[in-house]
Amino acid sequence: MPTIDVNYAELERLLSITLDGDMEKLDDILAYVKAEVKSFDPKEGLLSIEMKDTARADLWSVEGLTRALRSYTGLQKGIKSYVAEISDVEVNVDARLFGIRPYIGCAVIKNIHLNDAAIKDIMHLQDKLDHTHGRSRRRTSIGIYNLDLIKPPIVYTAVKPGAVQFVPLGFAELMGLDEILEKHPKGQEYGHIVKRNLLYPMLYDSAGKVLSFPPIINSNDLGKIVETSCNLLVEVTGTLNKTVLNTLTLVTSALIDHGGKAYSVTINYPKDAGYTEQTLVTPDFSNRRFELSVAETNRLLGLNLSAEKIIGLLDTAGLGVEKASAEYVTVLVPCYRIDVMHPVDIIEDVAIAYGYNNIVPLWRELPTTGKAKADQHPIDIARDLMVGLGYQEVLNTTLTNSQTLFQKMNQMPSHLIEISNPKVITMTCLRNQLLPGLMEFLSTNQSVEFPQKIFELGKVILPDKAEETQTSDKDYLSAVTTHPNANFSEIKSILDSFMVAFGVEWQIQEVMHPSFIAGRAGKILTEGKETGIIGEINPGVLEAWKLENPVAAFELHLQTLIEDKQKKQQN
Amino acid sequence: MVELRAQEQQLLTALNKQDGPASVEQLVESCGFPDAAVMRSALALQEKYLLTIQAATQNIIKLTAEGTSYVQTGLPERRLIVAVAELGGKANLSEVAKKAGLAPQFIQIAQGWVIRKKWAFYDSKTNTLTLNDTLLHQMAIPEGCDETLLKFIDKKGPVLIDDLNGEFKDASEQLKKRKLAVIEAKTTRILKITPEGKKVAVDASNVTPEVTQLTPELIITGKWREVKLQKYNIKAPVAKTWGGKKHPYLSFLDEVRAKLVQLGFQEMTGTMVEASFFNFDALYVPQDHPARDPSDIYYIKDPPYASLETHTQAVEQVAKTHENGGLTGSTGWGYKYNFEVARRLILRGHGTCLSARTLETGKYVVPSRHFSIARVYRPEITDRTHLSEFNQVEGIIIDERLTLRDLLGVLGKFALEIAGADKIRFKPDYFPFTEPSVELSAYKEGYGWIEFGGSGIFRPEVLTPLDVRVPVIAWGLGVDRLYMMRSGISDIRMIFSQDLDWLRRQRVVS
Repeated sequence: MPTIDVNYAELERLLSITLDGDMEKLDDILAYVKAEVKSFDPKEGLLSIEMKDTARADLWSVEGLTRALRSYTGLQKGIKSYVAEISDVEVNVDARLFGIRPYIGCAVIKNIHLNDAAIKDIMHLQDKLDHTHGRSRRRTSIGIYNLDLIKPPIVYTAVKPGAVQFVPLGFAELMGLDEILEKHPKGQEYGHIVKRNLLYPMLYDSAGKVLSFPPIINSNDLGKIVETSCNLLVEVTGTLNKTVLNTLTLVTSALIDHGGKAYSVTINYPKDAGYTEQTLVTPDFSNRRFELSVAETNRLLGLNLSAEKIIGLLDTAGLGVEKASAEYVTVLVPCYRIDVMHPVDIIEDVAIAYGYNNIVPLWRELPTTGKAKADQHPIDIARDLMVGLGYQEVLNTTLTNSQTLFQKMNQMPSHLIEISNPKVITMTCLRNQLLPGLMEFLSTNQSVEFPQKIFELGKVILPDKAEETQTSDKDYLSAVTTHPNANFSEIKSILDSFMVAFGVEWQIQEVMHPSFIAGRAGKILTEGKETGIIGEINPGVLEAWKLENPVAAFELHLQTLIEDKQKKQQN
Repeated sequence: MVELRAQEQQLLTALNKQDGPASVEQLVESCGFPDAAVMRSALALQEKYLLTIQAATQNIIKLTAEGTSYVQTGLPERRLIVAVAELGGKANLSEVAKKAGLAPQFIQIAQGWVIRKKWAFYDSKTNTLTLNDTLLHQMAIPEGCDETLLKFIDKKGPVLIDDLNGEFKDASEQLKKRKLAVIEAKTTRILKITPEGKKVAVDASNVTPEVTQLTPELIITGKWREVKLQKYNIKAPVAKTWGGKKHPYLSFLDEVRAKLVQLGFQEMTGTMVEASFFNFDALYVPQDHPARDPSDIYYIKDPPYASLETHTQAVEQVAKTHENGGLTGSTGWGYKYNFEVARRLILRGHGTCLSARTLETGKYVVPSRHFSIARVYRPEITDRTHLSEFNQVEGIIIDERLTLRDLLGVLGKFALEIAGADKIRFKPDYFPFTEPSVELSAYKEGYGWIEFGGSGIFRPEVLTPLDVRVPVIAWGLGVDRLYMMRSGISDIRMIFSQDLDWLRRQRVVS
């Protein structure tokens, strides 16, 4: 979830309220836009606000956030309009960019006076948009330049990495593009986005001066914004035109909120090369229209609102209305509400404006029958039986590692389900048996009173080509006993008692298994199938787990037993 | 009246029967209970001024290894004399020694002792031994005190010198000299009954005997009527019994399951390894959404891809919806859908994929209610508030008439039935797959407010591609937080605690 930092005093000023540090009161207001206070530093006057709605990028600056909230608190309802006058600045796009980073949107901002705090605010928004909405600059990235140093028209082109040198932002010397990817911190962070292409995207002005190397870094002269920069060029490049234009709208409207005046830029796309766009004038501040059915709104909300009432609520929610009848309302969605995709998004805003706590909850009596999963009953019986036999139930994670499953159990590794992006070395794969987890459990309890008798009934995950997820999850049951006199007879007696009570006939067949002592281990056979193993744990395994008492154990493929029983009952 | 425990009374009676003071060893023998028990009772009796305990140093005799070895084989001189007798009463010494099987170094010792014990004569000229006349007609050569004592000590263990009479006292000196035994000083506790003790002992002997353990014998023979069953100190601490118990967290989930079944929900299940399609795509999560970054979801190394062959229609519809809204009336996400990304296998990140699967099968009835208790995974570094593997309880309600009011109603019902909440409060919430979405906070006296659950009505972008024509509510419960609240733990890692002692001490009912 995105978290934004806002100045507390600025927030109070823009909302025309005095909070006196009452964060609960602020939370109540923030709830309108699904946000909440994450932390507040009264000394620095800094608020950290968490946004649950990841699609509402329009809230990620203090101006954007308060623009939305002012509508709900009644300070300034309805749509906030933005305009861009026409400028003669043009951008010519090179056909070779198609397939690399095809799209660009631009705007000109004039007469803006940014102080240090405002520059920080804009940078913060730019950073949030690049990171979240722009998917860490893969989808979109933003560049802001000093317009006074630029000679239009601007060229958006693709170049061979070796052909260009320029001074990147924050550096003093000329560097080649691959050198930038290698040495500049931004190059190291985002270089992977461009590296897979033979050509790299570049922005020049008509004098051949570099604006930037998108999405990596601006040039140190044209692309450097200081307090005295009062005419700016804003640019967004990316892989999705819709996102590029939305992002440009958000940045440009934020700069207008900071006192600038916006002008549009004409983007000339090449005629062929796969582009469907020809000439685009950006930014586009026009509202979008959605037809909202009054009946559909009431059906979804369970309310009985008139069109008139809905219009009032839309106004509170910061949305506009073009025209309305008793049945339909034509809703105007402002340019910055890029999250709205479907009338349901508008209906939710109506409900929020109405107030969730003003709606009477309804628990409908429906003729439905409750049912636990088919094998829950036998599973419960199995757990009850183990508890009755004196065994403590334990719960281990299904994520584990091959050291635990194989090496420490003195077994050869077998095929299992591994994670390609493990977070910690102790959790790299899914368990294919329960016993190693129980051994691990015992190893952490060497100072706890003996005898120790524990069991686990849980899922193991096995590769299975027949299943569409290529795996099947099976319930296994494993039990161990450990104390100075623990032995085979003891655990066999437990297993036998379990089997008798569970109604399963079983046989045992001697087996050599590296985790167990030779001559003290057997396969468990039921219905003529191998469905588990029982025995005394090999002292080598005990040593590996640093256990000082003998351990006797069994592991049972409980699910097979349950399925066999269910099949029998059906016959 | 002095209160005596059974063993104390037995000891006092035994001591009274002894003629004068007695050692602990003697009393162990006469009472029949172990040394420690005698001392414990003696100390208790001393506290009641019924006897005194004095430490006395006495000499004891015990066998050396050599001494012990002769218990079986007989002393060397006996082996020698038996050989002489067997050889007809007169024989050459070397012949006798050979017959007796004596090692050379023992021959001289044995020869010396047969003469000293007057069992035979030795003629140095002929080097012959002749059996003493007095022994000639006897059946066997009689045992000497030394031999008797040797056997006695071997059988009884160390013996008090003071317990031996004159003859045997001499024998003990002899054994010591021959290094067949050693004599050591030993501190012995001597118990002496006091006049008051005597009185109590006499009184007690007239009292019915007390019994500690009621035995089958006492019951069968009816003797229990004649004895007094000893009064226990029922406040005395006892050893802990650690029986078997269910895991407290799993018991809690059992309880949640039972409640949901009772409310008319049926359980959904599925594999933990899941296709991205059901975890994300079908829930309208775009293919480049940060929730799908390797930092937020576990990917399976091998095999990497699921088979979605039986779901081609759903996949195609979902693809169109993502690209341009398809038949849903939505704008869609506006990107080019990648079918391979949809097939990528992951560890499911939430239980909602089970709801997506239920809807996709089309095999549900309207109305119906479903739930799942699903193990889910996120690549988190575990700490007090995060686990990389945990459980989610969530589900769906399918009915033609569902509205936002039902959304609030279902959460309210859960808060009341499952959390036992006193008050509830709703807030707008966000999930990529529902609109509108609600969060419920529940208040319980003594616990305060907790975020208890969330719910929403599935977006048309979710329902239409899966060919669902009726509204569906999706809901989820923050059960882990509820469990932590109820069991009073503040560290979520305790759910998978490997602390056996903690598990043993957990209450079963909360």
